[in-house]
Amino acid sequence: MTPAMSPQMIAQELSEMPPGSAVSLQMSVDNYLDVIRGTLDLFANKREMDTIYVTATISSEAIRRVLEALDISSSRVYFVDCISHIMMGASSAQQDEHTTLVESPTMLENLMLKVEYLIRLSQSKEKLVILDSINSLAIHNNNWILSEFLHILVSGLRSKEAYSVIFSVEEHTTPEISNMVNLVCDHSIHVGKDAGREG
Amino acid sequence: MVQRTGERERCVTGIEGLDTILYGGIPRANTVLLTGSCGTGKTSLALEFLIHGAMKGENSLFVSVTENSEKLLANIIPYKFFDRNLVKSGRLVFVDLPIMYERLGMVKPELSMEEIDLLVAAMGDLVDELGTKRLVVDSVTSVCYKLKTSEKIRDFILKLAKTLSDRDCTSILVGEVPAGSSAYSSFGVEEAISDGIILMANMERRGDLLRTLQVIKMRGTMHSRAKYVLDLTPMGVLLVPLLKGGSTV
Repeated sequence: MTPAMSPQMIAQELSEMPPGSAVSLQMSVDNYLDVIRGTLDLFANKREMDTIYVTATISSEAIRRVLEALDISSSRVYFVDCISHIMMGASSAQQDEHTTLVESPTMLENLMLKVEYLIRLSQSKEKLVILDSINSLAIHNNNWILSEFLHILVSGLRSKEAYSVIFSVEEHTTPEISNMVNLVCDHSIHVGKDAGREG
Repeated sequence: MVQRTGERERCVTGIEGLDTILYGGIPRANTVLLTGSCGTGKTSLALEFLIHGAMKGENSLFVSVTENSEKLLANIIPYKFFDRNLVKSGRLVFVDLPIMYERLGMVKPELSMEEIDLLVAAMGDLVDELGTKRLVVDSVTSVCYKLKTSEKIRDFILKLAKTLSDRDCTSILVGEVPAGSSAYSSFGVEEAISDGIILMANMERRGDLLRTLQVIKMRGTMHSRAKYVLDLTPMGVLLVPLLKGGSTV
């Protein structure tokens, strides 16, 4: 069994990709913190890149707390939060300069529009868009619409030379979801329990 | 490869997604009906069209029929690209039509044929005086309420479109339809006379309400006829394709 990838290795793999690349990042639930450290801190923050973090799994507030606990700066992180609104007050997340709420994870077009808006707003030369996670979006959307969404989103980001990193959780991933993600991605990183590297 | 023949000069709207849908913009001097029910973003889109024009040095005129232009300016989305100097310099001008009615002595609830001619001539003079290249009437439906009959509405829109077209002015007439209506206009006349129709709507899908835009017709250019979802943002109107998700309806 190969040991799980370290945050440094994740950042290193991402750094080897040219701008506009789409990367599938499959992890185990136990590796989430390493993935966050590797992508947000050691890759994006180190390169002074704005990150647009689309969250459909846990609220932006919760992720912000994780970043704080890990001592990772969130000054360049802009959230598109698709989950807080449907939690109906379960979160105190408010729209501000760094947080945009999407009413529901079923509103995939609105999600794309918010990403587009933040991309236009961003002043940084390089940009990273994280989709966390395809599994959570799959709870609310069928595979047809999700596949179409991924194709349009990733193609758009590619044309803007923004990096896309699509998170998936191995414990919840079906072959259909893997195929859908692999179809639009140039490279895949596996950070699971029995991880090696693919691509 | 599709060969483009007889390409007409374009009035680039500056709304990136819309210009893509229209293969480069509205054919110059066209009169376009921008129609939809309330809350679909018609005024915002029309205003952005004028602001982009003014920013490019094209004199732009907003003719407000229902809302006082001061109030309108105060309520518009705080566009990040909007410079109030465009208004101060006269590049972007707001005119309230009720004031024009008053000055022209049109006090009766219904306009006569002669008064229609007078109104169109006054608008033509204003366009000449200001050197207007982009014009918006918001809303033409409100003007139509003063015309009452289909004949008068047809006459007014035809004459207005010709007056503006002769002056190389590209115009957007904002139309209102009741929510849920499948018609493109309240009086059924406006769409037949316009060179183009852009339909804005609220579309419900599994309980979600999406704002959509669709170009139904546009003379003088090829265009997409697909439905797009839009968002009104401080960076302007943004558009993405409506996802079909394998739907056959």
